[in-house]
Amino acid sequence: MPTNFTINPAVEAILVELEVQRKHISSTNIKGWGAILVGVISIFVAASFGGLIIGLITGGAIIIYGIVVLNKIAKEAAIYKRRFKNDVIGAALRNIDPNLTINPNDGISETEFRFSQLFPTTPDRYFTEDLITGKIDKTSFYFAEVHAEYKTETQTKNGKQTHWHDILKGIIFVGDFNKHFNGITIIRPKDFGASLGAWFAKNVYSFGDKNVVELENDEFNKNFVVYSNDQIEARYILTPALMERIGVLNQRCSNTISLSFINANMYIAFPLAKNYFEPPIYKTLLKPNLLDEDLSVLSFMHDIVHELDLNTRIWTKA
Amino acid sequence: MIIVPIIVIAFVIIGIGMYNSLIGKKNQVTNAFSAIDVMLKKRFDLIPNLVEVVKQYTQYEGDTLTKITELRGKAMGANVSEADKLALDQQMGAAVKGLMVSVENYPDLKANTNFLNLQSTWTESEEQIAAARRNYNATVTTYNNAVMMFPSSIFASMLGYQTMSVLESTAEERQNVNAKDLFNS
Repeated sequence: MPTNFTINPAVEAILVELEVQRKHISSTNIKGWGAILVGVISIFVAASFGGLIIGLITGGAIIIYGIVVLNKIAKEAAIYKRRFKNDVIGAALRNIDPNLTINPNDGISETEFRFSQLFPTTPDRYFTEDLITGKIDKTSFYFAEVHAEYKTETQTKNGKQTHWHDILKGIIFVGDFNKHFNGITIIRPKDFGASLGAWFAKNVYSFGDKNVVELENDEFNKNFVVYSNDQIEARYILTPALMERIGVLNQRCSNTISLSFINANMYIAFPLAKNYFEPPIYKTLLKPNLLDEDLSVLSFMHDIVHELDLNTRIWTKA
Repeated sequence: MIIVPIIVIAFVIIGIGMYNSLIGKKNQVTNAFSAIDVMLKKRFDLIPNLVEVVKQYTQYEGDTLTKITELRGKAMGANVSEADKLALDQQMGAAVKGLMVSVENYPDLKANTNFLNLQSTWTESEEQIAAARRNYNATVTTYNNAVMMFPSSIFASMLGYQTMSVLESTAEERQNVNAKDLFNS
């Protein structure tokens, strides 16, 4: 992957133009937040000198001014963000593969997220963006950023408190799998609960999950627990070669991935620490390594088709 | 005081679970073997069509085609043990692989849609059989562990259960990319 991607003259010109917009947004943001801060301080200062009413009037006016400024710039910031994604990330995608396209406002729907069965928990709050689609030879694929959360509530002396927990913050990749299958096969990271369930399934009848698939690859079994409603089909999908490849793919990620094979597709969830494909507001757009992290994620996703050998179409599925 | 009956009940429940689990594992082995049989039959059913299509385009492969047809006849015959069936399938697989190599000399056959479909289906069946064999071996290993390991070994000896042997992995399973090689050879 070329790290000097921004040297591309067309992209360079867009970045220069966006940099002007970015500076305006960042300075206006500072102005708006500054006004709110000054407003709050003036209320406190006036109140301490006994002029609360005057403080509230002048301070309130300054705060309202700050809010109006921030509100106005928010629209411009949205346009700036959209242009960055469409024009800069879009160009980066075309640089990797001309078939790749981005739709910043689209994503992987919550219905599809649930349908994929990648995670056992149902989300209470769901957000998705930056849908990227492509096709390499015979394999169509798409991926998008997803943030799915569930909530827990605790009773405190101040009332009910809601806590939000991540189910997934990262990217879901969906690819057309190269073999026909009818059942459902799910590969989840091995945690304590999954290991215990697998042990009961193996040793005590009527307890635990009977759909656990015991595979021969010890390294694979160390990281994952496999569930399927068809033991033979699970092994037909998870050949020794594919298990090796999934292991290699997993090693390249800092958190264990989850996979599922449903309805002709392969779903892979990659937990990631940050929100990708976002333009900076308070840092310059013109630094040479601006897109390095985004580009490395994009090429990683693009390489999955080759890594997992999804283009080998020697079976009856064309 | 109440703890004693709870512990006894827990032991009884776990004991029943282990007893049922052992029987379930034995049944799974039987099912897994039947699954291999079903896959083999599916594969053997491809042979007549494959032979017919290849015959139309080739002149010098008569011996191979006769051999493949004979092997199929033997495998489909009555009173063939499962072990023999698997051995015949391996011989048949090797003969078909040889035939696929010879196909390189017949460009018309290589371009024939029927042949290409049969070739893909054959490859698919090969991997399905490999998967069924792996499944059989996994169920046998789980069953053997239950028969040999304490405490389920107590129930195994009560039921007279013996350990079973796993199927040896075929060259295809060891290489596992052979399907691709078949096309590139």
